[in-house]
Amino acid sequence: MNATLPEAAVQQQFDDASQQKEAAMLGMWAFIATEVLFFGVLFAAYVVCRWRFPLAFVEGSAHTDFAMGTTETAILLTSGCLAAIALRQIQLDRARQSAVLLMITSALGMAFLILHGMEYHDEFEEGLIPGIRYTQTGPDARGVELFFSLYYVITGFHSLHVLIGVVVLLVMAIRSWRGAFSSAYYTPIEITGLYWSLVDIVWIFVYPAIYLVGSAG
Amino acid sequence: MTGQPIPSLRSQLAVLAALLILLAASASLSRLPLGWWGLVISTVIAVGQALLVLVIFMRLRHSHPVMRMIAVLSFAWPLLLVALTLGDYLTRYLLHAPW
Repeated sequence: MNATLPEAAVQQQFDDASQQKEAAMLGMWAFIATEVLFFGVLFAAYVVCRWRFPLAFVEGSAHTDFAMGTTETAILLTSGCLAAIALRQIQLDRARQSAVLLMITSALGMAFLILHGMEYHDEFEEGLIPGIRYTQTGPDARGVELFFSLYYVITGFHSLHVLIGVVVLLVMAIRSWRGAFSSAYYTPIEITGLYWSLVDIVWIFVYPAIYLVGSAG
Repeated sequence: MTGQPIPSLRSQLAVLAALLILLAASASLSRLPLGWWGLVISTVIAVGQALLVLVIFMRLRHSHPVMRMIAVLSFAWPLLLVALTLGDYLTRYLLHAPW
């Protein structure tokens, strides 16, 4: 089945499997570019607000859970590596190993979401959610509120991306286990890996912006 | 595309180790009272980590030049956006009415 899959899977608008793959990769990179722009706007808002309210952002960051943020970053970086190794394994025709690695990557993504959910819960208890439960007082309370507004928008959208990635990784793991991919055809795994790396890169910049600003305190 | 080289397991794990070491460095240095230098250092480390992910895990090193061009442009636009927005905010001043 695997040997005949590449030719059978070529859509009529493409000359061959190689051209189809190049088109898929180009489409994925174009999608990644739009995602970078999407998060780029949020980071631009963060930079302006941080410049405008530097002390409030230090105070706001001091309320975040430094240890939890660092753990979440380590989890995402490790999962990114496993996704890259899963691609390597399918290129070597080790579909089952690739499936297991994709499954672990998905589980790590889920672990990230659970930890982040725990953080949100703690922040709710502490009264740090603007518009829902915000109980902070003091001279910088409005600036801290702005910090947490940006925090929830940026990390909320990032978590949504992680959730989508967790589901897609799981689907890829099941398909790989069932023998849908081989060294001759693995474009969906490669594209999923690119998406997961994007999720990684966004968090690489979120981590210092949110968790490290007030940790020297 | 089909002739894309397969990276060694050792190289992938070495990159993961480098990423985790950079994370530890970023976390440790943030505990020191470095002021705005802390921001510069953590940003430089984050850029280094992102480059490692882009070049090794996303395999830009051996990708088609068009993919590399899109990758560079996709990160250049937000940088331009931040630079121009900050340029506006940092040079803006209140215009007082002459009366």
